[in-house]
Amino acid sequence: MKPAACFLLSVMALVASRSVAQDEVDHSGHSGHHMEVMPAGVVMNENLTELPRDCPEISRDYAFTIKAGRNFASDIPGMIYGMSQHEVRVLPCSRVEVTFINEDQVRHQWMVHGLPKYLYPAGMFHLEAAGGQSVTGTFIVPGDDQTFLVHCDMAQHMEKGMRGQLVVGDGSGNLWNVPGVSDEFYRFNYLPASMPLLAVLVLAVTFVAAFWLAKKA
Amino acid sequence: MNRRRWLFVTALTLAIVSYPPQWYPLPVRLKLTEWFGAMGFRALPESVAPPATMPVEFCPPDPENWRERHLIEGVEIEASESCEADNPYTIAAFVRGTNNVSQDTLLKSGLTADAVEMGRDLDGDGDPDEIHIRLEVAELNGGSALSRGPVTSYEIAPGIEPGLWVFAPKFVGMAVENFESRWARHSLRLPSPSIRIEQGDKVLITLENSHYMPHTVHLHGADHGFLTSAGEGNDGVPFTSEMPVMPGHARTYELQPRHPGTMFYHCHVQTHVHAMMGLQGLFIIEPNRPDNWLQTMNIGAGLVRVPSRSLKESFEREYDLHYLDIDKQLNERIQQYNDPRLITRSMHREYDITDSPPDYFTLNGKSFPYTFRESLVVGTMGQRIRLHVVNGGAKGLALHTHGHKFVVTDRDGDEVPESARSAQDVVWLATSQRVDLLLDLTNDGKHAYGPGIWPFHDHQYNGVTTDGIAPGGNISAIVYADYLKEGGWPKTRGVSWDSYFTPAYYRREIPVWESYAPGLFSDTGLDWRMLWRVIGLCLAAGILAGLLLSWLTRRGRGQ
Repeated sequence: MKPAACFLLSVMALVASRSVAQDEVDHSGHSGHHMEVMPAGVVMNENLTELPRDCPEISRDYAFTIKAGRNFASDIPGMIYGMSQHEVRVLPCSRVEVTFINEDQVRHQWMVHGLPKYLYPAGMFHLEAAGGQSVTGTFIVPGDDQTFLVHCDMAQHMEKGMRGQLVVGDGSGNLWNVPGVSDEFYRFNYLPASMPLLAVLVLAVTFVAAFWLAKKA
Repeated sequence: MNRRRWLFVTALTLAIVSYPPQWYPLPVRLKLTEWFGAMGFRALPESVAPPATMPVEFCPPDPENWRERHLIEGVEIEASESCEADNPYTIAAFVRGTNNVSQDTLLKSGLTADAVEMGRDLDGDGDPDEIHIRLEVAELNGGSALSRGPVTSYEIAPGIEPGLWVFAPKFVGMAVENFESRWARHSLRLPSPSIRIEQGDKVLITLENSHYMPHTVHLHGADHGFLTSAGEGNDGVPFTSEMPVMPGHARTYELQPRHPGTMFYHCHVQTHVHAMMGLQGLFIIEPNRPDNWLQTMNIGAGLVRVPSRSLKESFEREYDLHYLDIDKQLNERIQQYNDPRLITRSMHREYDITDSPPDYFTLNGKSFPYTFRESLVVGTMGQRIRLHVVNGGAKGLALHTHGHKFVVTDRDGDEVPESARSAQDVVWLATSQRVDLLLDLTNDGKHAYGPGIWPFHDHQYNGVTTDGIAPGGNISAIVYADYLKEGGWPKTRGVSWDSYFTPAYYRREIPVWESYAPGLFSDTGLDWRMLWRVIGLCLAAGILAGLLLSWLTRRGRGQ
């Protein structure tokens, strides 16, 4: 069915003839990145060997298996999609291999942002797994303590649960809205519908009581 | 005591002096006029300058020459004259099948390898007859617990970003242009894509529900069995045929249509909400012809750049025109919450469609003036153009054109007999109705009156506004090639469009005729004298009320 796609094919997408416009207008969604496209999904900007400038050597090798899908949000109220772990902690200058297993029947992504742009175009390392598939990719983290955003960039998947963080060393503080790690920045109030009445009632009782106490005194 | 009297006299004097003469009772004014004549001339307040128009670019550049004619994978892709065109590589992949194109074309198309798969040629006529289409569901201008503005943003008109749901082709990668951008990627847009298949094709449509609510696909008007060959429900209706597709799940619908015609597809879960959020698209079944490679999807509808064999037999070109109306009271609900439970309650129980007239009116997912970037019908004298039109909105559509009369050749996918056809300049489309229109550019004084820029639009007057501000809504135009500039913008005469491309115009901040009659119909300044009189009256009333309160409390204490 898919002749060319049976082989892994490393391609530099779109010849960089208009580099400025490529940065500004990214019509096809992946200009300038190193892409590996397979039937199972995509590995973008994989880096096995090139060291970040602040790293003399690879400090350690990690291998994580991260699963994604509806199942991993079933115990988080108000969330639809989730990951088996929303936080990944690694040492500075370590090499991180991630196997991303998608248990749903729709696409999911595991995308890291904010990495050094001289190593990772647009600062991104990106895994995308088609429904029921898994992909594996490796990247090397920089040498300073920093917290990086990890998310799925399908429309609304981050908002509905697929948001995580990659903590390098001690990190640089937790990100907001990471399920199981940090609270929602704009948290809804979840108050009873009769809250105004309740507030007035409490106010009135307190007022009368205070008035009576003051008078007695 | 003295102070109170002094205050009372002051307040009374202030009230009498401040009281505006134009508020005196009419008999008093008439008597005063009898005695003293009219009051002296006092000029009305000056006009004030409106906020500056800050127009966005009318016609964005086309850096990758997508508008030009292309030959990709052996597919001839016609030029698209309007300012904004679709990615020709995506079009080529839709024609050949994403499983049949080179890796380079696939990468440039942005699609996944299984977005549109094409299989065997069953009737041996030179084109594939096994088609497998995959659709995802994407939310545009949705809510977030991380930011206040809409996420995965999409403008239908300057500054107008209603919450939307669309069926979308399967693309690789991010939903936004890039990580720094809040804008949805180019191809992720309203309306859901037009789908084109051939009569007799064996078609599978897999809905991969990537949204956070249940959805289905209902093939409205297209010949499909109630059950699939495997005995599963196939009509997309939760209360009669099958369970809806839950988030993260997929389901395949199948059909092998026996008749051609312009049909429709939409979500049938809580249809009054889901279809109106944008989960609907044109579904066109072309007559079977040899070597007939169809453009399986037309992103954003509009010009079909790879027209079918049957079209070329009697027309020069074809356009898909998808009309929709949007009720902002519904569409803003996905932006007010992030919790799907709260969104579900708000959209399906609190929202009441029976109380809600629509506010926005789109043609191919945009309102005027953005319709002029991509939804112009472009032709030359003597051409015959086919328009596939659907009214996806909740109200009727009175489609009217200037300078021409349409002929309805097909209604709801069935041919209208020659004897029953007539030339019409208003064509009525009920909700979900489709018509195929012949637009004949022969200058015979009936079908066409000659070259120009001829608007076409809904003639129900709400349809030509954006939330009541005109010009807006679904206005577009038939433009003859002589009237187009090189970049695709029409050589309009008359007024400047700067204000129409300024968001403040649709926020009601710019007077409608400001561009050509500055000052004449502008907003007015203040009448300062009147303002001081009213403030004086307020001061007097305040003093009197204070005196009254102090008198009452003294009385209460028995003094």
